[in-house]
Amino acid sequence: MTVRSLIIAVLLFGGLAATRAQSHADYLKHYSERARHIRSAFDTSTAASYYAIAARYASNNNIPLADSLFRVALREPRGDMFWMFPVIGAYLHGKDKMSPETRAVVRNAWKTYAPYRGDTENHWAMYYTTLYLAAEQWPGLPGSEWFNGKSSQENLEEAREYLIHWIRITTTIGQGEFDSPDYFPEYAISMCLLSEFAQDPLMRKRGQMMMDYFLADFGVEHLNGQYLGGFSRIYQPAVFTPLLSGASGFAYLYFGTGTEAETSAGPLPETPKARPPGESPWSGWVLLPSLSNYRPPEIVYNIATDRTTPYLHKERKRVRNVIRFGTEKNPPVYKETYVTPEYGIGSLQGGLLQPIQQHTWSVRFTSGRPYTTIFGLHPYWSSYELGMFFPEELKPLIADVVASKGTYNNPDKWTGGSPYERTFQNRNTLLVLYDIEPGTMTEHIDGFFPGNLNERLIDSSGWIFCKAGSTYIGWYPLQEGEWLEERETPGQAKNVIGRPENLSQKQPVRNWRFRSHKLQNGYVIEVRSEREIGSFQKFVSVLRTRIPKAILTPGKVSVDYTSLSKDRMKFAFPDSRILNGKAVDLSATKLFEGPFLNAEVGSEKLTMTYKGAKRVYDFRTVTVTE
Amino acid sequence: MPCTRQHLFWITALLICSLSGASVAQESTVYAAVVATKLFVVGAANPQTGLHYQHPSGDTVWQHTGPNNIRAFGCAVHPGSQQRVLYIAAGNGLHKSSDGGATWKVTTGWNITEVLSVSPDPRDPLRVYIGTPYGVFRTTDGCATWKECSQGLGARFVSLVLASPLNDREVYCATEDGAYISKDGADTWTRMGLSVGGVRTIAQHPRNPQILAAGTEDHGIYMSTNGGRWWTRREAGVDHLTFYAVTFDPNAPDVMYAGGYVTGIYKSTDAGQSWKRMNKGLNVLTFHTLAVDPRNSQRVYAGAYWGGVYRSENGGGEWTPLGPPDSQVWTLFIHP
Repeated sequence: MTVRSLIIAVLLFGGLAATRAQSHADYLKHYSERARHIRSAFDTSTAASYYAIAARYASNNNIPLADSLFRVALREPRGDMFWMFPVIGAYLHGKDKMSPETRAVVRNAWKTYAPYRGDTENHWAMYYTTLYLAAEQWPGLPGSEWFNGKSSQENLEEAREYLIHWIRITTTIGQGEFDSPDYFPEYAISMCLLSEFAQDPLMRKRGQMMMDYFLADFGVEHLNGQYLGGFSRIYQPAVFTPLLSGASGFAYLYFGTGTEAETSAGPLPETPKARPPGESPWSGWVLLPSLSNYRPPEIVYNIATDRTTPYLHKERKRVRNVIRFGTEKNPPVYKETYVTPEYGIGSLQGGLLQPIQQHTWSVRFTSGRPYTTIFGLHPYWSSYELGMFFPEELKPLIADVVASKGTYNNPDKWTGGSPYERTFQNRNTLLVLYDIEPGTMTEHIDGFFPGNLNERLIDSSGWIFCKAGSTYIGWYPLQEGEWLEERETPGQAKNVIGRPENLSQKQPVRNWRFRSHKLQNGYVIEVRSEREIGSFQKFVSVLRTRIPKAILTPGKVSVDYTSLSKDRMKFAFPDSRILNGKAVDLSATKLFEGPFLNAEVGSEKLTMTYKGAKRVYDFRTVTVTE
Repeated sequence: MPCTRQHLFWITALLICSLSGASVAQESTVYAAVVATKLFVVGAANPQTGLHYQHPSGDTVWQHTGPNNIRAFGCAVHPGSQQRVLYIAAGNGLHKSSDGGATWKVTTGWNITEVLSVSPDPRDPLRVYIGTPYGVFRTTDGCATWKECSQGLGARFVSLVLASPLNDREVYCATEDGAYISKDGADTWTRMGLSVGGVRTIAQHPRNPQILAAGTEDHGIYMSTNGGRWWTRREAGVDHLTFYAVTFDPNAPDVMYAGGYVTGIYKSTDAGQSWKRMNKGLNVLTFHTLAVDPRNSQRVYAGAYWGGVYRSENGGGEWTPLGPPDSQVWTLFIHP
């Protein structure tokens, strides 16, 4: 063995060791440490926050103070379903410890404060899970004792019926608000609460199974704390600073990946003691799960963290309820993600699949925090898009949405789907085409490139070559464009419900925007790692000679490209995809399809596999078999 | 005890109160369904919304009844209930009060959401219709159970449902796909002769059931004089295309009002043949709902999309803002 091969072996072993699954006993030990670490940021707080109150109850830390804080917090209930789940969470952790007076104050709040049910899937998951748990806690009460005039029994039955319906829909045609780095917490918290506190054993089991389901759904498209691929919904800063999203906190808790929440201003101090008084790096979102007795099964942890072998994973989800401009209520969403130890590239098929916050495709990598992503989009907005999903009047809708989501009609925005965008992915090669109608609000497409890339070469061949650590990204624009220095919203800027959003406060971060003003447009993306192709120079030299052939006339936009993997990809806008001479039928995509997760459409089942282990979830019979 | 000046003040005040109380009993009640106020965000602390009401003598004072923050799109009083049976069509379902607003109950379950309009059957105290983005639903047992009744509709998005006060079991609905009529209490629907889609509202003449008016998303105002078989677009004086509200004066039905997206308020005095804008006093131009006081034809109310309610005391000649401030008023309903 030469010195060189020895070094390679050591490096390889080290790399594998870094991603190798730990024993379940070790996992549980480390999980407890992380959960304790998160809890420590809350259980000494004297703020009248439901999370701090829950943490105090769970930790038995000054119960009279927790009672007092709870009563103060409940003087002015607000926040609808965002109020419901932390209140019931705090109550369930403390109900046997709190004073009768505090218990009465909590009960009274469910009579006098009427939380709104909301209009999204995550709202309903929170609303009905919480209502179910509350109705179980206070059985036998008449409608006059509840905010909505329904009796305990009526509330229990309605909530149970909805939750079972929702589980059935999710496990037959997919989630509607799927794979959302920012809305993952809402589902995880709801299912965590249900899995721990439901009195009905079947509902408790359903909660556990759905929690496993969501964690596996995230875990299989997870890399180093980041959610991978295309998303139904994401808020703006998290789209280019992936660890800012809520799901990353859950990745820390459950997978031990990523770090404590990093911001664009840099990582926060490592230990709670080092933090400024009263400041927690943790969103309260992850607090309730950290108090829970729920633990993911070993197989989910392994799927989420073992990145020794690259793999292709496919999914089918559904479009949010279409209420106008369509005949199908929930058309399918097709997602493909290629995952390696260094990067993941994933995409949705394009078009309008979710309003406002869709993220159609991205490459995310492990190097170069916080800007660990490259992606592109057509920044589109219209009352047509909003009217598809929202019942309010079409013409004022844009202004109404902009009032709370200020980025929506910003031509520089970084989120949103477009009816003029389509993708065709084959493992780590992605083709994206645009055929934009003249007169559309924005007549340009944008690409995001981090300023901290190791390399960003604009090559005379037409390719843009990027290097982020050991990940190489080639971007071939089908039309000419311009480079604009990008400015970013501070990570801490948040709107009234705590979401980062405000674009008016800008600061330079030296990221780059590649903008092209041609209406018939597109690009080819190739991603490889050093492990896959060797040196960056080799990546550049082999890609240089691969020039896509494109037709870019209105109504006839297509590209013909042979990938680095020697696959011939012919793609014509909007939906003609041919791979090596064979038409690609996206409609054949299963609910889950890959080495780790598999589920047939309509099955209400999910099979998890990892090495020799197998775990089958059957939501019809509410059973899990190994 | 000598009668002091203070005693005189209180005696006078009590006298005024009792007199005004008597007049309240004789005057109309105006109900306003307020969806939101500016900067509504689900989950945030929002100003009070929902069902508001007032009496004309109450000047600009609005009372609030029912739950807050429910995205209240529609409201109605069940005819013949002496204002004891009230409805709110809301984002989270159909709310009902059977005791004049003292207590409320959400009568629908998880499978009915975003209720955009409600219309109780004037002849049947147990029958109510609601319009939603997912179709029409009906109860025949006083809201205990609901059944979807969308058979025949070309599109499920129903922005308005209207039970005819003149013809038994006749119901109209305005849908994304067009205007529909049912003659069997919503069991089945038939598309009326209006060729355009995007119908936003339908109104029926208070005395002649053959006369209908429709406001559309992109095609202005249409009228029919033969029960919806033939329609004519009314363009004289109309400079806009999007109309969310068309209404008849209940006492002088040749007088009509219409409003919509940045239209201001239009008035017709010739049964919709021609229209004239009546915008004096308006600070906003988008209106979603209009109503004429059945007790006073000169008193007209207009609900702004953002800007609260406006009232005119001279048949639209001049408008005064009544609040609630910055609110999105979806539906006005006047109980005589």
